[in-house]
Parts: sequence; structure tokens; C-alpha cells
Amino acid sequence: MDLFIRYVLNGVGNGAVYASVALALVLIFRTTGLLNLAQGEMALFSTYFAWKLTSLGLSVFVAIPLTVVASMVGGAVIERVLIRPVHGPDKSPLNVLIVMLGMFLALNALAQLVFSDDAEPMPKPWASVSSPGDPTGADRIVELLGVRFSWSVIGLVVALLAECALLYVLFQRTKVGLKLRAVASNGASARLVGINSSAMLMLGWALAAGLGALAGSLVAADRGSVNPGLMAVVLVYSFAAAALGGFDSPVGAVVGGMIVAIAEALTTGYVKALSTIELVVPFALILLVLVVRPTGLFGKKVVERV
Amino acid sequence: MKRSRIRGLLAVLAVFALLAGACSSRDDSSGDGGDDTEAGGDNEDGGGGASSIDTEDCGSDPTVPIEGDTIKLVSSYPQSGLTGAFAEIARGWAAYFDKVNAEGGVEIDGKSYQIEFEDADDEYNPQQTAANIEELVGADGGDAFAVFSVVGTANNINIRDFLGELCVPNVFAATGSVAWGNPEYPWLIGSTLSPYTLEAQAFATYLEDNQPDAKVAMLRQSDEFGATYEEGFRRAIEGTDIELVAVEAYPVGSDEVSSQMTTLAGSGADAFFNGGTLLACPSALTAKQTEGWDATTWVSGTCISKTLMGIAGAAGDDVLSMTNLKDPQNPEYGDDPDMQAFFETVEEHRSEFKGRELDLDNAIIAYGYTQAELFVQALQDAEAPTRLAVMEAIRNIDGYEASLAHEGVTFTTGPDDAFMGESFVLVQYDAAAGHFSEIGDLIKLEGQTADLTPEELITA
Repeated sequence: MDLFIRYVLNGVGNGAVYASVALALVLIFRTTGLLNLAQGEMALFSTYFAWKLTSLGLSVFVAIPLTVVASMVGGAVIERVLIRPVHGPDKSPLNVLIVMLGMFLALNALAQLVFSDDAEPMPKPWASVSSPGDPTGADRIVELLGVRFSWSVIGLVVALLAECALLYVLFQRTKVGLKLRAVASNGASARLVGINSSAMLMLGWALAAGLGALAGSLVAADRGSVNPGLMAVVLVYSFAAAALGGFDSPVGAVVGGMIVAIAEALTTGYVKALSTIELVVPFALILLVLVVRPTGLFGKKVVERV
Repeated sequence: MKRSRIRGLLAVLAVFALLAGACSSRDDSSGDGGDDTEAGGDNEDGGGGASSIDTEDCGSDPTVPIEGDTIKLVSSYPQSGLTGAFAEIARGWAAYFDKVNAEGGVEIDGKSYQIEFEDADDEYNPQQTAANIEELVGADGGDAFAVFSVVGTANNINIRDFLGELCVPNVFAATGSVAWGNPEYPWLIGSTLSPYTLEAQAFATYLEDNQPDAKVAMLRQSDEFGATYEEGFRRAIEGTDIELVAVEAYPVGSDEVSSQMTTLAGSGADAFFNGGTLLACPSALTAKQTEGWDATTWVSGTCISKTLMGIAGAAGDDVLSMTNLKDPQNPEYGDDPDMQAFFETVEEHRSEFKGRELDLDNAIIAYGYTQAELFVQALQDAEAPTRLAVMEAIRNIDGYEASLAHEGVTFTTGPDDAFMGESFVLVQYDAAAGHFSEIGDLIKLEGQTADLTPEELITA
């Protein structure tokens, strides 16, 4: 039982990360109908940026918010400069796919070129024990009812909850959120009632880039370092999370992220034969969802009137 | 720009490889090459008495002396991407060769030769290694004298048939695989890195002395490299009271091992063999700390780099490993004249090395430097400036010393012993000081690798 709880806790930490990146995927999907293949590498670039700031002496508590803001600007610019010219109802969806694939490649290479191609230590923005010779510090441990929690799990979950609360308020309680939803649900009508839909598209990408930057920085802090391969695997799990929850559902992204990660942790723990091929889990889940419920657990069915 | 595109492309390929890996339910050795490498080899080449290399089927004549006065070496190793840090090995050997050239070159059979070298980036991808080496060596083997210090087990396995058929020496392969003892590949030989089974033996011996009824848990990579640790350790603890109570594997290239570590920590073991390499190694140490698991810990010799142990930080305090070279980071050697000479040589030659910043403390530069030092000795001992004579010299090294090797460490090979790194010292990590320090006396397992290693691993 004790072991079971610890496997689940391993999963919850990762789940918070997959959920954050899945949320970013969902945000872009809802506003533009695109699956952003470059989401992971955008986050990687941001994470290296955050590491660079900390290596220049900035506190991680300043570096991460700065990175999130910078990434939001970057996300908006990417939408305006790279995505918009190739994306639209009258353009082939292949064009934008290729641009995103290009970004996937270019951002990873650029991160290595500009920052570092090595694994670099990422400080932890949560309670940690530092000691001489330890650049990142060790997670502080709390014991609750005999179960050991590391602060990284708490930090990751708190960050996810904060993201959810922020997005909820933004979408449900503000004018901007209403406009974002309007553009997502019917772009043409939104434009006709005077909503600046191009600004909204940029905002969608900005939000997604910001979420990705936060998730990347936190997962790097959790694992102790940022490296060029960090986000590629995370992205695969996040796609699985979003597919499971439904690509148009933020709630689904969060629930999906948790399910995928906990399933992964339990499989690695209990099914020895699968522990060395852990990516089987997300793919099995994606396949299952596609076959049984193509819209995902929380997704809406798209009904087209003819 | 071209470089970054290729780099990115590899990233995509890596993703596809992951996908493919996930879809085909294999638990084999994909990270370790394995394909297209099985030579015809059923016949045992007559009793293994290979004091002389059989040159009958050579694609090129290995007894032809070098024309002119340069020895051309070629190499392929990662220079970018996640494993780009391995390029630092070449910084060490390139500096040493430059120094030798500046001092008049290397003398073989009374004549002086300059050492020329050329290399290519393979990003640790075995297919790219094969393409690079085939291009650098040429289809008929005419473009290079020998291949030197190719990094990676799968990478060397991927070129051993090609080079073996041409009878082009592939020397000082930068990996500790026991497969370099395979008598079917006389033209391939490893370097001073200790064979992985000796690490297992060293840890078993340490436990016998200090913790004779230890219960050991092991984390290993799911490939030949990991299998070598596991099988080697099982053999090493035969007949002792040490027990291997749990083994967990992780996929090649993964660095997320927390669930494996939860299982190992829950196994009740009081000793831990961390066979993780690259980032899996510090990840495992950090996870061990999170689990609050107290166990005597060994880390893979591939993990004792500044970067990896630096990431582990305090979680790596007190871990054990082994090495045969002095750690440049250890201030104890600050006044050592050989260490000074090493620092000066590396500083002076190639300081603009591939646009990478120079970090003199990086132990793998010292490793590369040492390989060059030994190679030059072997060249001087060769009876003639031919491939065959040089290969024979390297296969019959008699107790060479190296300037950066620990006191008493010597390197020896022979007709039945293809392994150089068989003497070493145990080292322990001091996180606060940020370096390893030697503990205990020199351990000499000279000539014993073949006995300590299951045969099927050597002939794999």
C-alpha cells in the first residue's frame, strides 16, 4: 500500500507537468484549431532562457516570471509572423503543419546554439535544502501520515492549480475571455460583432507559450536539470493527455495529464516487462480513446449542419 | 544553419525512434546497435591463439608501409546535441598529438612521422558514425591509416565489420564494453576505460570487505551495457553472502527513473548499484535522496563526470566508483608536474577547440590525452610503419605507464587479453568539494576480464 501511494505520488508530479503542457495545447487548439507540434520545443527554449537568467545570478523566483512574460511576447510574435501567413480557411492545412514542424526543429537547435547543448542545473522554486557543492539544492521532504512528500510534487501541483484558477477567471469572468471564447466558437461571427479576432489569436498563442514556459521551468527544476531532450518526451505524454481528455477541454487536459502520468508510474512500478518501454502507456491510451471515444473524455462532438 | 537543421532533424528522428520503440514490444538492445552486425561467425578461428593477426582475407594490404611522413588518423564522435560534451575527449588527444608534432613527431623504425587527424560529428548516432567513418576511411581504406577514439559502444559495433574486413585498425575505442575482447575482431581494441564487468567486480569486492552480507539493488539500462553490469555483478557475488535482491531497468535515453527508484528503495536493499548513465545517473541519485533510502552506492564509471555529478550535487555525496586516472578537479594534484604539463598542453594547443569553451578541470579531457599518450608509445614500439605492426604493438602492450594515471596503474594487453583498463583505484565523491578522491589501494585485475565476464557478453 505504501509502495502504491509512492508510485501514485511519482505520477502526480509528472501529471502536473503533462497537464500544464496539455493545457497549452488545448488553448491553441480551441482558438485556432491547430495542434501545436512545436509546443514542447517552445517550452524548451523558454526553459533554457530561464536557466540562463538564473546562471547570471537572478533568483529563480524572478527568472521564471520574467521568462513567462518574455515567452508570452515570443508566442504572440510567432503567431503573427510565422503562423498567420500560412494559416487560414483558404490555405492548405499542410502549410501550417510544415511551419510548426520547422519550428520544432529550429527552436531546439536554436536553444542549443544560443544557450547550451549540455544539461544545465536548474534551481528549484520551492522549499529545498542547499548544501555546499549542490547547485540546485535538494527537495525538502514533508512527512504526512507516514507518507513522504517531496516539495517538488507540492510545487508542481500548486503551479497547476494556480494555472487552472487563472485560466478559469480569464475565460469565465473577463471580457477578454468572452472574446477569446467567441473567436474560438465562431471566428467569422466574432469578427462581425467587432471582436479583434487577430488580437485574440495572438493572445491564445501568448497564453500557451507562457504556460509552456512555466511547465518547462518547473519540470527542469523537478528533474534537476534542463537538457535538449527534456521536452520531446514530455510533449508525447501531453499529447496523450490532451487526446484522452479531449483536445478542446481544459478540464480534460488536467484530468488526462494525471491519468496518463499515474498510469505510467504504476506500469513502471508493477509491470516489469513494460518498465523499459514506458511510452507504451500513452500510446495505448491514445489508441483506446481514438477507438472508443474519439472526442476524448471531456471533448464535445462537433456537429456540422449540411 | 545547416548544422542546426541536421540537429533538429535528428531530434525528430529521435522522436520517431521513441515512437517505434514504443510500438514494437522489444526489451532488447536497440540503444546498443545490434542490427546488421552479426558477422558470419560460427567458426572459432582455430583455438583463439591469435598472437598474430590473420591477414589472409584483408580488403587492403596491412603490411604496406606508410607513404610519406604523415600518419593520418580519423575519428567520429558526438560534437553537438545532448551528448556533445563527449567532444572534450578529442580536445585531450588533439592537444597531445599537436604537442608531439611540434616536438618533431613520432618515430617508427627510425623515421619521424607527423600525426594528422580529421574527425566528423555523429551526434552519438551509430548510423551516422558508420557513414562518417566510411567517408573518412574511403571505400578501399586508402584515405586513413587508422581510426582512433570513436565514442560509444553501438557506434564502434556499427563500424567493426567494415573496418575489420579492410583490416584498418580501430583503436582506443572510447567505451568500456567487454565486446572489445571478441577474438573475431582483431582490428578493434578498446581503451583505458575499465570493462564494465570489472566495475561490478570492484563493487562486489568493496562490499565483501565492508558490508559482507549486503543486500544489493541495481538500476541498469535496458541494453547490453546494462546486461553487462547485471551479469557481471551476479558472477562477482557467486559464493559470497552478498545478495542481488532487486534489479530495475530503464529505457535507453530516459532520465525519468523515479518509479524504478521507488521500487528499488522499497526492496529493503542496503546497497545500490547505480548503473544509470548520462542523466539517468544523477536522476537516480536525486530520487534515492527523495525516497530517503540509505544505501552504500556505486555509480557507473560513465557517470563520474563533472557535469553529471554536479547535477546530482549533495545527492551524490559519498558515492563510490573507480577510475585509473587522476581527477584534474582534485586540488590534491594541483602541484603534480604531470598534471601541470597536461594543463599547459591543453591550454596551448587547440584552445579554440570547435568553438567550445575550455574547461580544464573536465576529467574526460584527461582521458583523451591519455589515449593519445599510449597510442604514441605504441607507435614508437611498432616494428614497422604498417597497419599490421601498429595493431600488433597495441595488442601487445607491456605495462605502459601514463602521466595522468594513478600511481602504480599500468596498461597491458596480450594475445589473450584485449583489455587495458584492468588496474584502477576506488574513488569516492565529496559533494562539498566537488570532486572524487581515491580511497583504498590499487586494485589489479590484470588479465582477468575474460574470466570475470560471461562469454556470451564478449562475443555479443
